[in-house]
Amino acid sequence: MSALLESLLGERAAPAALAGVREAAIAALRERGLPGPRDEAWKYTSLRALEQRRYADGDCGARMRAIDVGFLPGPSAARLVFVNGIHREDLSEVGAVTGLDIERLGERPDELAAILRSAPPVDAFGELNAALALDGVRVRVAAGARIQAPVQIVHVGTPADGDVAWSLRVQVELGDGAQLRLIEHHVGSAPNANLGSIVAAYRLGARARLDLIQLQDGAEGAGLFRRSDAVLGSDAIFDLHTVEVGAQLARHDLVVALEGRGARLRSRGVFALRGRQHADTRLAVTHAARDTACDIAWRGVADQRSRGVFHGAITVAAGADGADAQLSNKNLLLSAQAEIDTQPVLEIHADEVKAAHGATVGQLDERALFYLRSRGLPLDLARRMLVAAFCGAVLDDLEPALRARVDALLAARLPQAEATP
Amino acid sequence: MATQTQTEIEIERAREPNGNATVEAALNRRYEAGFVTDIESESLPPGLDEGVVRAISARKNEPEWMTEWRLAAFRHWLTMTPPHWAKLEIEPIDFQAISYFSQPKNRPKSLDEVDPKLLETYDKLGVPLHERARLAGVAVDAVFDSVSVGTTFRKELAAAGVIFCSISEAVREHPELVRKYLGSVVPTGDNYFAALNSAVFSDGSFVFVPKGVRCPMELSTYFRINARDTGQFERTLLIAEEGASVSYLEGCTAPMRDENQLHAAVVELVALDDATIKYSTVQNWYPGDENGVGGIYNFVTKRGDCRGARSKISWTQVETGSAITWKYPSCVLRGDESVGEFNSVALTHHRQQADTGTKMIHIGRNTKSKIVSKGISAGRGQNTYRGLVKVEKGADGARNHTQCDSLLIGKKCGAHTFPYIEVKNPGAIVEHEATTSKISEDQLFYCRSRGIGEEDAVSMIVDGFCKQVFKELPMEFAVEAKKLLEVSLEGAVG
Repeated sequence: MSALLESLLGERAAPAALAGVREAAIAALRERGLPGPRDEAWKYTSLRALEQRRYADGDCGARMRAIDVGFLPGPSAARLVFVNGIHREDLSEVGAVTGLDIERLGERPDELAAILRSAPPVDAFGELNAALALDGVRVRVAAGARIQAPVQIVHVGTPADGDVAWSLRVQVELGDGAQLRLIEHHVGSAPNANLGSIVAAYRLGARARLDLIQLQDGAEGAGLFRRSDAVLGSDAIFDLHTVEVGAQLARHDLVVALEGRGARLRSRGVFALRGRQHADTRLAVTHAARDTACDIAWRGVADQRSRGVFHGAITVAAGADGADAQLSNKNLLLSAQAEIDTQPVLEIHADEVKAAHGATVGQLDERALFYLRSRGLPLDLARRMLVAAFCGAVLDDLEPALRARVDALLAARLPQAEATP
Repeated sequence: MATQTQTEIEIERAREPNGNATVEAALNRRYEAGFVTDIESESLPPGLDEGVVRAISARKNEPEWMTEWRLAAFRHWLTMTPPHWAKLEIEPIDFQAISYFSQPKNRPKSLDEVDPKLLETYDKLGVPLHERARLAGVAVDAVFDSVSVGTTFRKELAAAGVIFCSISEAVREHPELVRKYLGSVVPTGDNYFAALNSAVFSDGSFVFVPKGVRCPMELSTYFRINARDTGQFERTLLIAEEGASVSYLEGCTAPMRDENQLHAAVVELVALDDATIKYSTVQNWYPGDENGVGGIYNFVTKRGDCRGARSKISWTQVETGSAITWKYPSCVLRGDESVGEFNSVALTHHRQQADTGTKMIHIGRNTKSKIVSKGISAGRGQNTYRGLVKVEKGADGARNHTQCDSLLIGKKCGAHTFPYIEVKNPGAIVEHEATTSKISEDQLFYCRSRGIGEEDAVSMIVDGFCKQVFKELPMEFAVEAKKLLEVSLEGAVG
C-alpha cells in the first residue's frame, strides 16, 4: 500500500449517509491498489510522482480565502462554483429557469449516496472518488425543455494550508427531447499541488441534445483525474468540445455509450502542453445499437518536456449494424524532450459498419513556415500562427466569445520565442 | 551420390501421376536406404525440466556452451508467466503435457487414412502428389525432395559463399557465427515463448550471406534438410553481412495436419551495412475444424535487426492457418537510413483467432518504415492488428506510414486494430490509417451482374483487397497465397 493511499484513505469526517458506500469503496480500493505501469490503461501515465505524496482533507481553509479567477464571458442560466471540490455559495449564481433543476449534492448526502451507489466504480480512481466525494451537483432538464443559456460548472483549484485531495460528483440528466449547453471550466487561482478527482455522468434521453464544453485550464502543478461517462438514448446527440491545457498531471477517461438507435457523438478536442505537463486522454466509444454514429477529431501539441497521451477506442458491438465511426488524431511534437503517444483503436464485432481511424505525429510544415517568413513574419510568430491554426481547426464551431477565450488560453500555452535556427 | 539422388528424383517425378502406390514405394525405399533417422526412438516423454533440456542438447551433439545457453534460457523461463495481453481466447497450456522432442503420435500410415477433406484441399491447391503425402504427415519422413534438392543447391550456394544449413548443423560447424549472433536479436529472456524456444528448440534454419554476396537463389524451407520435423520449436537465424542480400521463403504452403499443439518459433534476422533481407511467410498450419476443435497455436517471435547503415529488412506474411496466430514480425531500425517493411494478409475463418502485426523501432537517423496490414475475418473469426511504431530520441528524420484495413465477411466475426504510436523525436513523421468495412454490395452486385458466382466474386474482391501485399511475395508464393485464400474462404458466403 502506497503512502499515497494511506494518506487518502485515513480517517475523514463524512455524513452518516455516506458511510456505507465509502467503506465499500475504500475496501475495494485497498484490495485493488493504484494502477501501475503494467496496467495497459496506465501504460503511458506513471503515478510514481504521486506515490510518496500526502494529502490533507479537501478544502482545508480555502473557503476562507478570496478567490480571484476570471469566469467565462456571456450570460448563463446558472453558474456553480466549486473551490477545491467544495461548493461556494458566494461565487455561484443559480436563478430559476423553467425545466431546469439544479441540486447541490453536498446538501443532500442521501442523494449523493444514491448516485454513488447507482454507478459502482470500475477503476481505482472511481473508487477513490466514491471514497472521498463530499459534494457535487445534479443538473436535470425536464423532458422537452430547451435551456437557452448555458449552465456553467466551475472548478477552482486554489492553494490551501497543505496539499489537499478533493473529489466530487457531477450528475447530468436530460429527459426525452431536452436540450442543454453545459460548460465545465477548470481553473486555478494560483499554482498548487492539489489532487482533484471528478466523476461525471451524463444521461441523455431519447432525442435529447447535450452540448458539452470542457475547458481544463487547471492550476499549475495540480493533479486532476476525471472520468466523464455518457449514455445516449435513441436519436440523442452529444456534442462535445474538450480543451486540455492546464494541470501538471491530467488524466481524463471519456466514456460514451451509444445505447439508443441513431444516437450520435461528435467530439472535438485539443490538448496543448508545455513545461513538464502530462496529459492522458482516454476516449472510449461503444456503438451498442443500430445506426449509431461517432465523429471524433482530436489535435495535440507537446512542447518543451511535456508528454501528451491520446487513446481513442471505438467498439462496435455485435448487432450494431449501420454504425458509422470516424476518428482522427493529429499531433505536433515541437521539442526533442517532448513525447506523444497515440493509440487509435477499433474493435468491430458487426459487419454492416463503416469505421476508420487515423493518427499522425509530425511537426510544422517547413514550406508553410517558409511562406510566412517570406512574407516578413518573424519565425517565432510564424510558428505560433501555424500551431494556433493547427489547434483551431477542430474548434471552428465554438461560439465566438468562447472561441476567443479558448484561443487566448491556447496562445498562452503555445511555443514562446525560441532561438532562430 | 548427389547425381544418384538427382536421377532418383527424376524417376519419382516421372512416376508421380501413377498415384499413391508409387510414391509410397519410393518413400519406403528411401526409408530403408537409411536416409531418415528412425523417428520413434528419438521421442522424449512429455514434460520439461533441466534433464529434458540437456537430453535435447545431447541428442543434437551440441557443445557445452550451447547446452549452458539453453539451460540459462530454461531457468529464466521458469521465472516468467505466460502473457495475457493479447485479444485472444486461449485455453491454458499445460507445458508439462508437451513432449519437447517428439513426432506427432498416430500418424496415418498411408494417404488412404488421411482425412479426405484435407486431400480435397490439397487437390484444390494443386499440391504435387508426393508433397501431399509429405504434408499430410504420412509416416514416412518425406524429406527426399529436400535432401536432394538441398544438396544440389548447396554446392551452388557454397560457391557463392552462402551457408545454408540446419541450425543444429551450424552449431556444430560454424560455432563462431552462431555464438556471435544467436540470441543477439531476440535475447533468451525476451518473452515467455522466446525463452521456452531458446531452451528447447529442436531445429531450424541457419543462413549466412557473407559480405558483398547477393544470394544466387531464393532460399526456402522447402529446400531444407529435415524440414518436416523441425516442427514445434523452430529457430531460424539469418545473417546478411555488409552489402549482402537474400530472400528467404518460409512455411508450409499447404495444410499440415496436426493436433491442437503449440508452435513457438523464434526467427532472428541480422542485416549489417547496406544488406537487404526479404523474409516471406505463407503460414497455413491446421486451423482447427469449423467448431474450433484442434488446430495449431502459432506463437512466434520474429525480429529483424537492421544493425547497419542503409540496411533493409522486409517481412511479408500471409497467415491463413492456425487456430491461434500470435506474432509480430518486427524491425529494429538501428542503422542510419535503414528501412523496415511489413506486409501482411491475415485471414481468420470459422473460430480462428489472429493477433498479429509488427513493431517498428526507429533508433537510427532517417530511418523509414512502412506497414501494410490486411485483415479478413469470416465466420466467427477474430482478427486483430496490433502494432507499435516507436521513434526514439535520436531518430531524426524518421518516417513511418501505416495502413491497416479490415474486411468483414459475416455477422459473427470481429476485426480489431490496436496501433501504438510513441514518438520522442520532433523531426519524425508518423502516420497511421485504418479502415474497417464489409465487402461492398456495389462491388458484389457488379460482379454478379457480369455472371460471376457469388463465391468467385467474393474471392476476386478479396484478392483485390490483398493485392498490395501479394505483389511483395515471390511469384510462386503469390499464386499459392491467392489459392489459399480462396480455399480458406470457402463457405464464408451465403
